[in-house]
Amino acid sequence: MNFVHLHLLLNHFPIIGTIIALGLFFISLLEKNEDLRRASLITFAAMALLAIPTFFSGTGAQGAIKKLPGVSETLIETHQGAAMLALLFMEITGGLSLVGLWKSHRSSRPARWNWSLSAILVFSIVTVGLMARVGNTGGDIRHPEIATGQEEGTEGSVISRMVHKFEPSPAKFAELMTASKWWWAFMMDLHFVGLVLLIGAVGILDLRILGFAKQFPIGPLHRFVPWAMAGFGINLVTGVLAFTGMDQYYTYDWAFWFKMLAIMLLGLNVAAFYLTGAFESVQDLGAGENAPPLAKFIAASSLFLCFAVITLGRYIQSYSDTITVHK
Amino acid sequence: MAPPLFLQAIEDTGFSTWLRESESPFAFYFILLFHTFGLAILVGANLIVDLRVLGVARAMPLAPLKRLFPIMWMGFAMNAVTGILLVIAYPTKSLTNLDFYVKLTVIGMALWVMQRLYSRVFEDPSLSEAEMTARGTTLAKWSLFLWFGAITAGRLLAYTYKYLTFPS
Repeated sequence: MNFVHLHLLLNHFPIIGTIIALGLFFISLLEKNEDLRRASLITFAAMALLAIPTFFSGTGAQGAIKKLPGVSETLIETHQGAAMLALLFMEITGGLSLVGLWKSHRSSRPARWNWSLSAILVFSIVTVGLMARVGNTGGDIRHPEIATGQEEGTEGSVISRMVHKFEPSPAKFAELMTASKWWWAFMMDLHFVGLVLLIGAVGILDLRILGFAKQFPIGPLHRFVPWAMAGFGINLVTGVLAFTGMDQYYTYDWAFWFKMLAIMLLGLNVAAFYLTGAFESVQDLGAGENAPPLAKFIAASSLFLCFAVITLGRYIQSYSDTITVHK
Repeated sequence: MAPPLFLQAIEDTGFSTWLRESESPFAFYFILLFHTFGLAILVGANLIVDLRVLGVARAMPLAPLKRLFPIMWMGFAMNAVTGILLVIAYPTKSLTNLDFYVKLTVIGMALWVMQRLYSRVFEDPSLSEAEMTARGTTLAKWSLFLWFGAITAGRLLAYTYKYLTFPS
């Protein structure tokens, strides 16, 4: 398997998944169906997570095909710029979905219309549009038979030309990220702050479920979870920015890809916690009470995966840690 | 001004050379990894206490959070040990950098605040939640600020040094 396989394997999910999630979200609004809405929000969040390695695998795919006859670097660049803009909106949609899920779990009544639902609606519609463009410009690279535009890929419809104005130039963006070592240091600093937020909130919750520090009631302890999500958000943003700054470096580092795998597994683990009833089984446990085995198992794998992510991240022997950033 | 010669003496020892140059995954990066684990444990646990004192997750009773202090000290112990090893690996790099001394000072202050928070807020079990919060608010704010400073100063060590190893 090479990066082309990986990119093709992954890239259909965020596009089609987001369309399906938007469909479910529409129906849930019309039918006022709470379960359906939760399902659509979970799908948005899952697609936002999956979009990250999909985006990252593009650099390797580019490396594998750019020397082939008939492959246009310009088309690849257009595709990459489109992907960057779509990723931005995808992540905002995913983040808002998590906010929506958090709110709906906090109240037993079905949520009325609120700002987060309106924001999800707007951002997810834009995301679906941008994702379609990512798919289209990506298809143009290896499928000349479907190409509608000229070589530049910007000569298409009025809409795609307009959208293109908002898409960053990948090369310029990368230069921006590595131009100053202070900016790079600042991003890495925030990446560590995010790590601390995440480990602090999730680690203590996991330890409590496992039976350490049983004095802590679990429900109230769980209220720190938004801080963990904020930490994850900080690390997602700084991590993606760092990748775009030195994509060649990260792409060909195995520790980086195992780190991505561990993050995806961590996402699955979170889903398992909330969707298998493990959370319900522990949320009312007070001081001294014992969690059931399933919840303990999920808490243990959460701790293991969190520390695996840190370990793998540390073994990305980044330039920035030993030598000053060079372009 | 040339760095003092004892730095070179440390660097020339077999242990320092091994830490720095070994291809083994259990050399430099392994120690750096445990320095990161220790950071996450120490600051992560302290952060939760600070946030709770400042009013996050009010439903969580304050007093049991006392349990987290031994965990913080465990994280600190990890980082004291791994930190010394990291200095042995790159003595010239760290000891000739002003930022290194800033980092140690800020960590010292953060630990002092942590200990104050423990003795003023958590040691006396007869205090009410309101009293605990009132006594801890300023300390918790300082704690957040100082740990952020310590992480920043630590991170900057990778970008601000003058010599990586002793200049030949």
